Amino acid sequence: MKRLFIALAIILVCCFTASAVLAGGGGPPKNLIKGFFLKVNPDHTAVFKMDVTGVERTLKLPEDMKAEDIPMNRKVLVTLKTEGHEITDEVKHVSIMFIDIPASKVVALLIVGLIGGLLSGFIGSGGAFVLTPSMMSLGVPGAVAVASNMCHKFPKAMVGAYKRWKYGQADVKLGLVMAISAIIGVQIGIQIQKYILDHWGNAGSNLYVSLMFVIVLVVVGGYVLYDAYKLQKGGKETETTKIALALQKINIPPMIHFKQAGITISLWFTLPVGVATGMLAATIAVGGFIGVPGLIYVIGASAVVASATELVIAFVMGMWGSIQWGLSGLIDIRLTVLILAASLFGVQLGALGTTYVKDYMIKVVMGAVMLIVSVSRGAKIPEYLAQLGLRSPLSPETAALYDAISFWALVAALAAAGIIISVAMIRGMLQARAEGL
Amino acid sequence: MEQKKSKGPLVIKTLIFGALSGALYYLLFSNVDWVTTTYTMGGWHTVYPVGTALVFSFVHGTFASNFLSLLGIEPKGGH
Repeated sequence: MKRLFIALAIILVCCFTASAVLAGGGGPPKNLIKGFFLKVNPDHTAVFKMDVTGVERTLKLPEDMKAEDIPMNRKVLVTLKTEGHEITDEVKHVSIMFIDIPASKVVALLIVGLIGGLLSGFIGSGGAFVLTPSMMSLGVPGAVAVASNMCHKFPKAMVGAYKRWKYGQADVKLGLVMAISAIIGVQIGIQIQKYILDHWGNAGSNLYVSLMFVIVLVVVGGYVLYDAYKLQKGGKETETTKIALALQKINIPPMIHFKQAGITISLWFTLPVGVATGMLAATIAVGGFIGVPGLIYVIGASAVVASATELVIAFVMGMWGSIQWGLSGLIDIRLTVLILAASLFGVQLGALGTTYVKDYMIKVVMGAVMLIVSVSRGAKIPEYLAQLGLRSPLSPETAALYDAISFWALVAALAAAGIIISVAMIRGMLQARAEGL
Repeated sequence: MEQKKSKGPLVIKTLIFGALSGALYYLLFSNVDWVTTTYTMGGWHTVYPVGTALVFSFVHGTFASNFLSLLGIEPKGGH
């Protein structure tokens, strides 16, 4: 079985590399270019040498950008202004591609990596929602943060999935079926995003993403937490939901048996959950927040199996995404391996932690994290409403306050998860030791 | 009670994978200019970051697993 796992991983790498190369990339926005500035001209333009091709272009600088703001002879990412679908030659934003990484930033990356990994190993997803903004707050350009994080996510998920498969928790078949349908979902999600971007612009798109984020996280997270509370109070073991039981009884071929999860269900019911996971992954970058509850409440898997299976999905989708971002050359491998240094410890700790806790603890952590994270996005909504002219503009102080709430809510979610998991794990370990297990 | 296994082989494995992992990190960060240039050239060069992430996760992941076992942090029932 170990060999089968490795063989599957290799086949997937080959398939996705081929499909990603054929698809000609994707991932980052098309108005993003990378290269070096060679000189700034007196007419407020600058000569820019494109990376790889070496083609030189003259770019127009915006009025508020001074010559000193242009970093010379350092690899930069330049966002160009767009007019409708047309990409202009005018610079919108310049950021240095490879930030300097002093010891303090290394420590920050290791801490976030460790707790992110712990969360990921325990609930199957998470970490990414806080890693990307954390990297950005360290000065990493957004596209590089997303790319480097994605490249760290899939090997971490692979290690976590392997561990949890060894513990008899991950259902590889269910994970692969879900992952393939999730990739279809991602494509649909991207099309919806494009439609919104074309009709309502950047602020409209941001507002849509934030609203989706808050609604999904509050509704689903609230329900997961309520379910966990009921289970804890009643002292009962987890029961399969009525919906899942009803769906499992409907015989529409092809019926698939998932051995590890102990479920036989029609493919037509797993597909929508997978597609929804992918759509959400494309929209709010945390597909697992719908994937795991979907596996539990719609498909009928236990929380332990669902969170373990989510790691298989995260591996496949993360690898697919990494190849896409890598094709555009945006992965900063230094950041990837620095986060991996700690997250590979975290993910294995989280994975073995699940063997010591009751099923509902996974739901407690998941629900709590989802609700706290929703505050983070909710705090961004007033700014987007103001950008769309739906409310009065925010004062700089209020905007800064909302930004601070948004960032610190993420940190709080991570800290809360780290504490709940550690306490539950240590209690479980002490109890097991006392019982001589 | 089953007699406890000797930790000797585990220590050796941990040390080997720890040294390998350390060597990989040293190799990457001592050639950082070449690495950051080559890895971000796009196109088929995507194999570099994706492959590196896989190799690091295998070597460093095995080290982390052995290290945790050495500390006595094992899953319930000792899978």
